[in-house]
Amino acid sequence: MALISIHDIGVDFHVDAERATSLKSALARLLVPRRTTPRTIHALRSVSLTVRAGERVGLIGHNGAGKSTLLKVMAGIYPPQHGTVHVDGHVCPLFEFVTGFEMEDNGWDNIRTRALLLGMPYRQIEERLGDIGCFANLGEFLDLPVRCYSSGMLLRLAFATSTAVDPEILLLDEVMAAGDAAFMESATARMNNLMERASIVVFASHSLEVLPRVCSRTIWLDHGRIRKDGPTPEVIEAYQASVAGQSTATAGAAAEHLAR
Amino acid sequence: MSGDSAGFVETATTRRISRRHTISGDLARAVGLWRIWVRLGLQDVRRRFRRSVLGATWIFLQLGIMILALGVIYGALLHQDLTSFLPFLTVSLIAWGYLTSAITEGGQAFIASEGYVKQIGLPIYVYVFRFFVSTTTTAAISALVYVVVALVLHRPSAWGVLWAVPGVALFTVACLLLTTIFAYLTTRFRDAAYMATAGLQVLFYITPVIWKRDMLRSHGLDWVVRINPLYHLLEVVRRPLLDSRPAPAASYLATLLLVAVLAGGAWLTARFYHRRIVYFL
Repeated sequence: MALISIHDIGVDFHVDAERATSLKSALARLLVPRRTTPRTIHALRSVSLTVRAGERVGLIGHNGAGKSTLLKVMAGIYPPQHGTVHVDGHVCPLFEFVTGFEMEDNGWDNIRTRALLLGMPYRQIEERLGDIGCFANLGEFLDLPVRCYSSGMLLRLAFATSTAVDPEILLLDEVMAAGDAAFMESATARMNNLMERASIVVFASHSLEVLPRVCSRTIWLDHGRIRKDGPTPEVIEAYQASVAGQSTATAGAAAEHLAR
Repeated sequence: MSGDSAGFVETATTRRISRRHTISGDLARAVGLWRIWVRLGLQDVRRRFRRSVLGATWIFLQLGIMILALGVIYGALLHQDLTSFLPFLTVSLIAWGYLTSAITEGGQAFIASEGYVKQIGLPIYVYVFRFFVSTTTTAAISALVYVVVALVLHRPSAWGVLWAVPGVALFTVACLLLTTIFAYLTTRFRDAAYMATAGLQVLFYITPVIWKRDMLRSHGLDWVVRINPLYHLLEVVRRPLLDSRPAPAASYLATLLLVAVLAGGAWLTARFYHRRIVYFL
């Protein structure tokens, strides 16, 4: 059974990482221990949550609230500095579509590479190659190196490939296909189909219209902490109230400032 | 949290975290994903020569020109018989080139794979193996130059060549371990790349790569060679190929010791940096 179980995790990023990575400063630090605390961003703080098989979970919050970081912890990309993460099931991270694309290779070879990276079994790739090429609808371009593609064509190929996998746990980060209108329509259908095949979907989005349609449960992240976790309509309502409250507060302050 | 090492103290809790990031677990998973790193590694080799007219032939040309030039000049300078000096030079340069690329190119394994590391949660050893595949393949292609030289200039006995198998295996393992160590180090300390290049340049001159050990013996500097582990590493490959007999036991011992030390080094760097690599990128 697919399962994501996260207990009290913390993820910190060191702003001065680039300074710390020079040998000189490491030596200097060794010789003269400095008291100053390096600037640290607490991307996630004491976050705990459990997602069970069958759940569709949305993540909302401002930019920098920790949505992407949380997804990347689930994907096993960032090992948290504190707490425990337990993930059962094959994870398919779709944060972007084009990692693994090799500009000099032709379309077919790029489908193979990308599908392999996303964990599709080798035999299945050959079986689905036709389907993927068909959906990308690039005709003879598939035989050409992808550097000859327009960015829209490249995205279509990448999208067709990325959505062909059978994920147990699907992690999505604000992925909205670009392309012409007809492609958008079939892309939405394909995306929905992909989400239906997954046992667990965690979906970070700013789109408050899409979320209720996809996710029954939503988690609101605020400055790296979980602000609210519950049924989507409730969480969205609370989130909107908070955003509105903040903007009226700012507006009020501005008005006061002007009045002086 | 002063200093970045203190920020990630390996406490009892951190160690318990997710089995997904243990060194051995990641290593086992990465080995299982061989299709990915073989594919990416070969892709890297092909990319290097894409859209060049001569393609991989450049490997031969580069090496061939180098060997001819060095062979004629140094052969005369050092009073060497070309029929034995050219094969010596060829093996030496191929092996040294492999070692150098394992360190300098292999050191870029994580940095060059940053997009993959940050977007697709594969165990990071996949990228070490990727660079191991590309450097090893390039070295294997260049080894064909030796085959040509050997066939033209001298005929090593089949038994002699068989003796090269353990030597080449040890050499390859050493290269894999060096790639691992420098992949970690270079990601952590970007200066490590420059230090390695500078260090290798010095080592090239003080190691008998393009000159022979006997040439130094008369100057009383033999110990410089004897304590140089890279000399022994070269010998276990060179001696069987050139003289059709195994290298001295001391060289095998020294090489085994070197591999053991490198394995320890690889384990240590992993121990320190494995979980933090993605944060350094």
